Amino acid sequence: MRKLREWILRIGGLFNKGRKDRELEEEIESHLRFQTEENLRSGMTADEARRQAMIKFGGMESTKESCRDQRGLPILETFLQDIRFGARQLRKNPGFTAVAALTLALGIGANTAIFSIVDAVLLRPLAYPDSGQLVSLSERGPDWSGGSLSYPNFTDWRNQQSVFEKFGVYSGNNFTLTGAGEPARLVGALMSADVFAALRAQPEIGRVFREDEDKRGAPPVAVISHALWQNRFGGNPAIVNKTISLDGKPYAILGVMPAGFEFPNKVDLWLPVGPFSAASSWQKRDNHPGLFGLARLKPGVTLEKARTDLDVIAVRLEQQYPDSNKTRGVQIDRLLDNKVGNVRRALWILLGAVSFVLVIACANVANLLLARAAAREKEIALRSALGAGRWRITRQLLTESGLLALLGAAVGLLFAKGALRVVAALAGESMPRADEISLDPRVLLFSGLVAVLTGILFGLAPAWHARRVDLQGTLKETGRGATSGRVGLRQGLVIAEVALTFVLLVGAGLLLVSFHRLLQVNPGFVADRVLTFHITLSGEKYQLVEQEILFCHALREKLRALPGVRAASLVSQAPLHEGGWDMRFLIEGRPEPPPHLQPSLQVHLIAPDYFQVMGIPLLQGRDFTEQDNREHLRGASSGNDWGAGLNAVIIDEEFAKRYWPNQNPLGQRVRIPFGEREKQPIVTIVGVVGRIKENRLSEQGGMVQAYFPMYQQPLQNMAVVVKTTNAPAAILTTMRQQVSQLDPAMPIFEIHTMREIRNNNVAPERLILGLLGGFAALALILAIIGLYGLLAFTVTQRQREIGIRMALGAQRFDVLNLVVGQGMRLVLIGAFIGLLGSFALTRVLASVLFKVEPADPLTFVTVTFLLFVVALLACYIPARRATKVDPMVALRFE
Amino acid sequence: MNDKPEVWQGTLALMVLKTLEGAGSLHGYGIARQIERTSADLLSVNYGTLYPALLKLQQEGYITSEWGLSESNRKAKFYQLTRAGRKQMHKETEEWEQMTAIVARFLSPKEGMA
Repeated sequence: MRKLREWILRIGGLFNKGRKDRELEEEIESHLRFQTEENLRSGMTADEARRQAMIKFGGMESTKESCRDQRGLPILETFLQDIRFGARQLRKNPGFTAVAALTLALGIGANTAIFSIVDAVLLRPLAYPDSGQLVSLSERGPDWSGGSLSYPNFTDWRNQQSVFEKFGVYSGNNFTLTGAGEPARLVGALMSADVFAALRAQPEIGRVFREDEDKRGAPPVAVISHALWQNRFGGNPAIVNKTISLDGKPYAILGVMPAGFEFPNKVDLWLPVGPFSAASSWQKRDNHPGLFGLARLKPGVTLEKARTDLDVIAVRLEQQYPDSNKTRGVQIDRLLDNKVGNVRRALWILLGAVSFVLVIACANVANLLLARAAAREKEIALRSALGAGRWRITRQLLTESGLLALLGAAVGLLFAKGALRVVAALAGESMPRADEISLDPRVLLFSGLVAVLTGILFGLAPAWHARRVDLQGTLKETGRGATSGRVGLRQGLVIAEVALTFVLLVGAGLLLVSFHRLLQVNPGFVADRVLTFHITLSGEKYQLVEQEILFCHALREKLRALPGVRAASLVSQAPLHEGGWDMRFLIEGRPEPPPHLQPSLQVHLIAPDYFQVMGIPLLQGRDFTEQDNREHLRGASSGNDWGAGLNAVIIDEEFAKRYWPNQNPLGQRVRIPFGEREKQPIVTIVGVVGRIKENRLSEQGGMVQAYFPMYQQPLQNMAVVVKTTNAPAAILTTMRQQVSQLDPAMPIFEIHTMREIRNNNVAPERLILGLLGGFAALALILAIIGLYGLLAFTVTQRQREIGIRMALGAQRFDVLNLVVGQGMRLVLIGAFIGLLGSFALTRVLASVLFKVEPADPLTFVTVTFLLFVVALLACYIPARRATKVDPMVALRFE
Repeated sequence: MNDKPEVWQGTLALMVLKTLEGAGSLHGYGIARQIERTSADLLSVNYGTLYPALLKLQQEGYITSEWGLSESNRKAKFYQLTRAGRKQMHKETEEWEQMTAIVARFLSPKEGMA
């Protein structure tokens, strides 16, 4: 307690020093008077009395000093002193301070921005309690993984496993909400009651569905999101137990989930999956509506244990249902990995790259400090001579660089804020958990740490150097005491900068080539002036296939008739879209492989004119005719089995090449092994079209593609595609009107031009290229500044030498050669080290590169060339200045 | 003057407290003189350590100070013992006596040992 009191008073002692000093002085003065009086009484003369009093008192200043030390906190005070002194030093050299702080701000700011992304996306656990125990489940085969699972497989897995506390499934499903204001397209999810339980998610009001509401025949219920509750129902708590109309069916609302609960992503509502499993397609183990699994591991159960456990079950099911389950395994991943796995590598690469930038920035500032240390050598020598210890001087210099680093960090935070905005714009929707990225205290702590570390890192070199200052020599010498050691250190720093820059440039170059190649990929369709939007046919009005067909037909006719519309069509899935629908197929007249070896094709259902709208070339044969479509119509009405009316198919060129090389595929027949054998549709190939990119511009290989006439069986969800004569956005309003004229309750959504879709498709690649390219550019600028700074410094230092050389007859060219040679030697060494490093490091880029080898010779040559040209420029400027040295002036100098 | 032993670091605080107990209120010079007088001028107080020691005792709350006038009508800073200071003095006195007793036992002619 006493100690605490003392410390508090001591901290108090740091303030109001002047008054306390005066008080102390007075006290000492009064002491001296007492003593003087006593001395006078003992018979001394006045002068002698005073003199003896002072002698008796002893070291006045040292007494004051120890009082001051006792009064305050000496360590803190010298620290504050250092800070004040450092700040004064920085203020006195605004040019130096600005350049150094800005350099550091760039390095720290870029690091802060990337770290805040890495932290939010990769490091922080998901926002569910004990989220480390959550795993995702999907199906995998010998050469694919992450496939959706079927309902029967899910029930078998769940009933036979013993590793999960809770295990449920979910799938996205959209609904049309009517009867509550404007009809709205709601993004929903079908979900097991166990998914809520596994996530340990609690509703905001009401309750979530129970196990007994999650089965066939259960009454229809729903849980809605906070956002939907607020936007559609005014946040009224009386919503619980109210009924809403989804796809024309009444659903009772059980509860509202809190804001921020987003699973599987941002959805408006959740319906129990069980009642949907009654449909016959749900009972199939293949060709099923896709589901994804989510489970919580029991406490103490490892991921490996769960994997082995489920593998055993999968093998059992393989034997039980060989037709569908042969070679089908279970894939289990941590939920976090499942969510962010696709960006993990890219983010670590970026963090690595950005740390290079920071190191380069540090090297640059160290270089600046070293140059300045030369000027300060005398000051430091003087301070040593006046009794400052080495440690004291080191501390002072480190405080100064720490101050500089903190200044840099403060400015860097502003940069980071701006950088994050750029990242958000570049990333689009390609970055998972993007909304969690922020400059929160964790990130601030990180930048603070980085700042302190960098402060030490770049402050160490000059501080270390200051320890070795030769006192006598420096004080005596009138000129500069440049030692070769310092220049050696500075050259080393520049070499390191060049090497790191080289690596970053190679990385950026590779990504640039890769991105360029990606943009040149022919997507298989013409993106110009094509608009797409999605519609959903649901509810009472579309119970019958005929109703759906009538709507699609009428919509297409209306859109086609619009001025400014060239052609209009519908498709089950437009190109470059997530997901897809595949089916197995067999070629008639060829041996039939066992089910698990049967190939699959990618299904597209299309309305007339689809190929015209999308500009997909017809290579062989013909498009579907009115007759095909009518045939299908008849077939569709005749039975409810899927594909019963199919008889024609158009295939893509890859299909033709793979299965009928050097043969005419037209007229060949393909069977779809769907349902009972005698009802399986057999279709004749009537045409061959160009291949399109199904999901990603970067995809290579993949399933063959097949087109069927849509009028056989329209889907609930369809994309409308319209080719316009002018900019498509202009007639969007009229198109909306057409849709609502046909069905006022029909919402249209996901409205994009194909060009937008194409651009968004490369967003991840654009992001990593943009960032790495930015870092490389930054690195290049910093390294060049470093190189230039060093050369300019040495030119000044060697002015006399250059003057002598010129006096002795050296030509302009010789001087140029001298300086440029010195600089380029460093660049050469740095580039060579960078070259070796690049070979080692760009390998990690392989997985994010498209059609470029990590050791692409063109990139390496170009980067080397670029670096040398820029470096040559940086060398030339100081070299030219060297040639301007007037020998007479240089010799007279000093 | 210089051959007089100086007051040991640890004991100065105790001497100050004890002096103030007897004198009630005293200025720095008075404290120093009093200590020297009590020691029959055998000790000399180093003023370089006296004033920091007074500061420390104040910070610890054992003494307080205020400006006042001396008998010779001079302005001086007077120190007084606080209640905590009195307690501390007793505690330290006890400790000191115990210590000296122990030391004395070591230094006195050994009795029971032979």
